[in-house]
Amino acid sequence: MSNPLEKIDDYRWRIPKSYKPGMRVDGIIYADELLLKDIYRDKALEQVANVAFLPGIVNASLAMPDIHWGFGFPIGGVAATDIENGGVIAPGGIGYDINCGVRLLKTNLQYEDVKDKIKDLTCALFSNVPSGVGSKGDIRVSVKEERDILLKGAKWAVEKGYGTQDDLECCEEYGAIAGADPEAVSERAYERGKAQSGTLGSGNHFLEVQVIDQLYDQELSDAFGLDLGRVLVMIHSGSRGFGYQICDDYVRQMVHCLQKYNINVPDRQLVCSPVNSPEAKAYLGAMRCAANYAWANRQCLTHLARMSFEKIFNSSWQKLGMQLIYDVAHNIAKIEKYNINGKEKNLCVHRKGATRAFGPNHPALPDRYKKTGQPVIIPGDMGRNSYLLVGTKKAEEETFGSTCHGAGRLKSRTAASHSINLNALLKQLEAKGITVMASGKGTIVEEAPEAYKDVNEVVDVVHNAGISKRVARMRPLGVIKG
Amino acid sequence: MKNYELIEHTADIGIRLKAKSLNELFKNAALAMFEIMAEDKSPVACHRSPVKIDIEQKADNIEELFINWLNELLSLSAVKELIFSDFAIKKLTEKSIEAVALGEDASDYKVNVEIKAATYHQLKLEQSKAGWLGEVIFDV
Repeated sequence: MSNPLEKIDDYRWRIPKSYKPGMRVDGIIYADELLLKDIYRDKALEQVANVAFLPGIVNASLAMPDIHWGFGFPIGGVAATDIENGGVIAPGGIGYDINCGVRLLKTNLQYEDVKDKIKDLTCALFSNVPSGVGSKGDIRVSVKEERDILLKGAKWAVEKGYGTQDDLECCEEYGAIAGADPEAVSERAYERGKAQSGTLGSGNHFLEVQVIDQLYDQELSDAFGLDLGRVLVMIHSGSRGFGYQICDDYVRQMVHCLQKYNINVPDRQLVCSPVNSPEAKAYLGAMRCAANYAWANRQCLTHLARMSFEKIFNSSWQKLGMQLIYDVAHNIAKIEKYNINGKEKNLCVHRKGATRAFGPNHPALPDRYKKTGQPVIIPGDMGRNSYLLVGTKKAEEETFGSTCHGAGRLKSRTAASHSINLNALLKQLEAKGITVMASGKGTIVEEAPEAYKDVNEVVDVVHNAGISKRVARMRPLGVIKG
Repeated sequence: MKNYELIEHTADIGIRLKAKSLNELFKNAALAMFEIMAEDKSPVACHRSPVKIDIEQKADNIEELFINWLNELLSLSAVKELIFSDFAIKKLTEKSIEAVALGEDASDYKVNVEIKAATYHQLKLEQSKAGWLGEVIFDV
């Protein structure tokens, strides 16, 4: 594509709606000049322009600095549509891995406590947490229980003894989004989801033991009870095959909605339907089931991680201080209220590879985070850093309360597997003190640090643009991959 | 020899393939998809007998049919824990397909990549004098 970008300021760039006939709003990309060079490498900007075609879209088709080429929506894309004004929901704007997300657990351990045990700890995690393609968990559920999971989300897991009430308070939507409709879920999705509760999955999903290596704000660090050298645990997983099936089922159905509702989109992967249509209502009911499935899944994984720490440190997880800091969704659509041109509107906010980032005092936040703003968890790659940030009022004003979700891919999986040598990579990671265990060796290469943008650059942009605020930076010690 | 080539895509994997007929295109795309996903790890003699699964799909046009066919195979492969290694297409029109897929126990395979779905993004199915050209991007 020719360069359509107009500079708004150092961290924002506009694709004017005149760029393509059919765009209803501008595209706005959050990036600095450095990251833009990477963004130009693939077709992500074209996708930002395509999303601007969605009926009812308000303000702008947004992209976060970790934007990269997806299908239909770019990864790192945010779009909100006005429900009362023909606004649509697009399953591709949520993606196949519905409520792929990440959670961060605290410990009261310091680096000194774990440095000699990190290999044993990583091994224990690897053997306790089912990972890899199509992996099946030890936490087996009946069909009736599966329906319960879809309605109760993480609460189901807590009722089974896999966590506490406190964990639920520290989840986006308190671990279960309302409006899940198990009747909208196909038999096939039930079958596909049955065996996969409590599994990590493959690809970019991971469980990491990390240590805080930098703090940015004393007041916020104190509020979260974090200090330098403290050990944290990060879990990245989603709704597994259950979510893929729901997305597939509804993309199939909504292909017919384009003609039925006279919708024109430039990419069929952007199929969509007005939020008030029966097709969209059914999708929302099913998507919420998958979101709840994912929250239950991450809660089960939390339990397995806590059990592994108990084994290695010979102490209860409570004594080890393994409280949940927060759990956020990266791939989801939410109905949220925003003020648009002086009027309060109900919007359908699509976050495709983006994190909700509500500022202080937002009513959706639990009391403990009212003062700080919502914790935002940004995983990086396995060789560099991850971050804890907080959301801001500015994000609520500019980006429908959204920020980036990770480092963002730079190299394709095939390019990574051709150019990166596994043994050299493992040596490099070992030299940095990072232990990696994976079900598939191919995954380690495909997920190598050089396949990703530098998360530090991505986080600099969202911090400097004011749509989130840095609290702590972590580096990995032990990594398990699918 | 591989009957497809990989297309570069930042987040995902795509394939480009040529075929003499539409029938061959559908079959080769499915073979390529499972070849990307998994590799046979046990000697042929050790394989259990494959399971035959009947597949029927309908759609409004050939592109939808192609995507539905591939996604139905992915879905069945996950649910039945099978890797499909061959396909006999009995009937194929622009709007419907009837086929038999041969599925082998997934535990006889080393699964390398989880393909979540075949997508419409940049999907291409073109007929030429030489036959058919297909391009599809998978979400992995």
